[in-house]
Amino acid sequence: MAVTTRKPPKTWSLLGEVRRRPSVYEATAAKFNYHFRREPAPFEMDPTAAINQWYLEHREGSPFNVEDWEGFRDPAKLTYSDYVSTQHDRETYLDLLIDHHEAAGSIAKLDKAWVDTLTALLVPLRFPLHVLQMTGLYVAQMAPSAFIINCSNFQAADEMRRIQRLAYLTRLLANEHGDTIAATDTAREPWQSGEAWQPLREVSERMLGVYDWGEAFVLLDLLLKPALDSVVNDSLASLAVANGDEFLALMLSEFQRDTARHQAWATALVQYAVEQDPALVDVIRGWMASWEPLVDAAVAGLADLFEAAAVPLSAADVREAAAQARERVLSAAIQ
Amino acid sequence: MPALPRSEWYDLTRDMNWDLTYVTEDQAFPPALSNSFGVPAEDWWTWDEPYKIAYTEYVHNQAGKDQGLFSVNNVVSRSSIFENLDPGWKAAILAHYGAIAVAEYQASIGEARMARFGRAAAWRNMATYGTLDEMRHGQLQTYFPYQALNKEPRLDWAHKAYHTNEWGIIAARHVFDDMFTANDAVSTAIQLTFTFETGFTNLQFLGMAADAMKVGDLDFGALISSIQTDEARHAQQGEPTLKVLVKAGKTDTAQNLLDKMFWRAWKLFSLLTGLSMDYYTPIEHRTHSFKEFMEEFINKQFIDQFRDFGLEKPWYWDQLLNEMNWVHHAYHLGVYFWRPTVWWNPVAGTGPEERAWLEEKYPGWNDSFGKYWDVMGDNVRAGRPELTLPETFPIVCNSCQIPVCTPAGYAAGYLDSPLPYQLVRDGRKYTFCSEPCQWVFEQTPEQFAGHLSIIDRLLGGIIQPPTIEGALAYMGLSPEECGVDGNDYAWATATASKTA
Ligand SMILES: [Fe+2]
Ligand SMILES: [Fe+2]
Ligand SMILES: [Zn+2]
Repeated sequence: MAVTTRKPPKTWSLLGEVRRRPSVYEATAAKFNYHFRREPAPFEMDPTAAINQWYLEHREGSPFNVEDWEGFRDPAKLTYSDYVSTQHDRETYLDLLIDHHEAAGSIAKLDKAWVDTLTALLVPLRFPLHVLQMTGLYVAQMAPSAFIINCSNFQAADEMRRIQRLAYLTRLLANEHGDTIAATDTAREPWQSGEAWQPLREVSERMLGVYDWGEAFVLLDLLLKPALDSVVNDSLASLAVANGDEFLALMLSEFQRDTARHQAWATALVQYAVEQDPALVDVIRGWMASWEPLVDAAVAGLADLFEAAAVPLSAADVREAAAQARERVLSAAIQ
Repeated sequence: MPALPRSEWYDLTRDMNWDLTYVTEDQAFPPALSNSFGVPAEDWWTWDEPYKIAYTEYVHNQAGKDQGLFSVNNVVSRSSIFENLDPGWKAAILAHYGAIAVAEYQASIGEARMARFGRAAAWRNMATYGTLDEMRHGQLQTYFPYQALNKEPRLDWAHKAYHTNEWGIIAARHVFDDMFTANDAVSTAIQLTFTFETGFTNLQFLGMAADAMKVGDLDFGALISSIQTDEARHAQQGEPTLKVLVKAGKTDTAQNLLDKMFWRAWKLFSLLTGLSMDYYTPIEHRTHSFKEFMEEFINKQFIDQFRDFGLEKPWYWDQLLNEMNWVHHAYHLGVYFWRPTVWWNPVAGTGPEERAWLEEKYPGWNDSFGKYWDVMGDNVRAGRPELTLPETFPIVCNSCQIPVCTPAGYAAGYLDSPLPYQLVRDGRKYTFCSEPCQWVFEQTPEQFAGHLSIIDRLLGGIIQPPTIEGALAYMGLSPEECGVDGNDYAWATATASKTA
C-alpha cells in the first residue's frame, strides 16, 4: 500500500512545533472547540441563522474575551477518565459514610427541632442547587475553549451529585420522621413562595436569563456559587455540628472538596484572562457590582433560617461567612 | 452499600420544576435554544425517562469501563496490530476518526443544551450524564488515534478535520450542527437522541464493532462498543420528549423533526458507513452488506420504535428504499475518483471476489456500477492511472453537501432522470441531489439559504485559484495528505483466485 514517508509527528499538527509531547489532557481538549471565531459564522449554516447570531452575540461578542483562550488550563487537569475515577473514589467514601450512619441509626436519633430546621433549610435546597447545575451547563456550552467547557461540565455534574446525596438524606429523614418531608411541595412551596427563599429564587431566575457567557460565568462562579456554597457546605455544616448532626456535617464537608476544585478553575480562568487583558478587571467588577445586591439579599434570606435552629447560628455570622467566601475567591482571582 | 434503593429516593432529584415569576418563560428558555413548540411548561414536567441512573452508579460504571478500555489500548498500542491492519480497514477507521471524533465532543454541547434548556429537571439530569458521555467519546476517539499517530500520520485528521473545509467535513458539520451543536433542546432530543442515536449510531457503532472484531482490530472494536453502551443509555431522552409532544397533540411537529433528520442522517451514513461496510472492510470479514444492515436496524427495529409512538414512516420511504440500492455505490465511485480530496487512502474494493460479492448482494451491480470500474481498470492496466483521477468538480447538493449522483442513479436504472432538483429562491439557484434533500431545505430555509456549498465557494471566487490544486489547499489537504489508492491498484490486476 501507499506508505507515508513523513517523519512521525510528535503531536497534532494544529498544536504546532512542540518540544515536549503534549499530555493526554491537552491532546484531548486543545482546539476541540473549532467553531469559536470561525468564519463566516460559528456553525455550518446560514450565517444569519438565529443560533449563529446567538453565539456571535453572547460568546464572540462578550466583553469577557481575550485574544487566545486556548492557553487556559484547568489546575486539576482533569480528563473525563480522571474525573470519573476521582469521583468513583469520593462516592465510595460517601457510601461508606452513609453505611456507617445507617448502621448507627443516626437519622432516627435526630430530635424534632433539628428535623424541623432541616425541613425548612435543607430540603428546599435542591431547587437552587439545580439552578447552579443548569447555569454551569450554560457556561460550558458557550465557553470559547474545551479546556473551559470541561471544567464547567464537571462542576455541573458535581452539583447534581450534591443534589442526589441531599435527596437521599431527605428520604432517610422522611422514613424516620414523617413522609411529608419527602413530598415535592415540602421543597417547592418554600422555594416558590416562602419569604426566606424569595431573594434566592429571584437571583437564580434572573441568572437563568443572563446569556452573555462571561457575565453568566462571573455571576455563577464568582458570586452566587461561592456565596451559596458557603451557606450550604460551610454554615449549614457548622449548624449541624452545633446540633449534634455529625452525619450531615461530614457529608457537606465532602462537597466542599468539589467546591474547592470549582473555585480553583474559576479563579485560574480569571487570572488567565486578566493576564491577557488587564482591562477585564473592570468588566468583571462591573458585573459583580450590578449583581452583588441580589446575591447579598439571597444569602440574607437563608441566613434568617439559621437563627430558628435549636442551637442557632446568628444570621450575621452566616452572612459574614458568605461574604468572606466570596472575597476569598475574588482576591485569589484578581490580585 | 447505602440501604435505600434508587427507586425510593431518586424522584426527589427530578422534581425541581417550578413557576418562574422573576423572569418570563421565554427569558429563561428562549425559543432559539429551547423551542417548546407551544407545549405548556407544566406538560413538560411529566417528562419521564425510561431508564434511570444515579450519579454514584454512573461514576462507578464509567470508571470501570474506562479502566478496561485503557488496558486494551495499552496492550494493543505496544503490539503491531495496527501496522498489520488491512489497508481497506485502515481507510474505514481513518474516515471514522476524522468524521466522528471531534463531532462527538460537539455532541456534548448539544447534550449540555438539553441539560440547561430541557424543559424538565428529570430531563436536564439525564442530559447532564449525556454531556459527560459525549465528552468521553470525543476524548477517547482522539486519545486512541493520538497514541497511534507515530504509526499513521493521517490520524492527525482525528483532531484536525473539523478545522478544515474538506468537503466531507463540510457535509458532516452541516448535518451535525443542524442536529445538535446548533439545535434547540427539544429538537435535539428528537433529532439527535431519538432519530440519530436510536436509529443510526447502532449502525455505525455496532456494525463497525462487529466488523472490527472480525478484522482483528481489538482496539477499535473495544472502543466503539464501549461508546455504544453510553449511547444506548442517553439515547433514551428521545422517547419521553416524543411522548410529551404527542400527548400535547404535536405529533406533526415530532414527525417533521424526525423526517428531516432521518433523511439527513441517511445521507451521511450512506457516505461513511456505506463505503466502510461494502468496500473498505475486507470481504472475508464482512458480517452483512450495508443494505442488509439498513434493513435490519433501520427498517425493522427502528420503524417499530417510532410506530409505537404513533409516528409514521417518513413520506419519502420509497425513495429511501430506492437509494439503499445504489447511492453508496455512486458515492464510493465518486470518493475513489476524487480520492485526492479525502484524508484517507480509499481502496477500490472491486477485485474479482469483491465484485462477485457485490453482484450477489446488489443484483445488477456488474452491469451498472461495475462498468465504471471496468474503464478505470483498463486505464490502470494500460499504465495510465492518471486517467482515473479528476480534472473537474462535481455538483454538490445544497442540502446534504454531498456531490449529486443522479446521473449514476439514472444510468443504473434507479431514477427516471439524470437531472438534479433545482430551486430558485430570492434570485439564487439551489441544487439538490434528491427530492427529500430539497424538502429538508424548504422546511427551514432561513437556516440554510445563506450557506454556500463548496462549489458555490469555488464559483463565487472564495476558493483561489479555482483549480483542483487550489481546492485541495482550501480543503486543508497538503500534497502528502491527499488520498491515494490504498492498495496501489492491486484490484485492477488481481485475478479471481480464492473462489474461481
Ligand atoms: Fe457519543
Ligand atoms: Fe450520543
Ligand atoms: Zn442532498
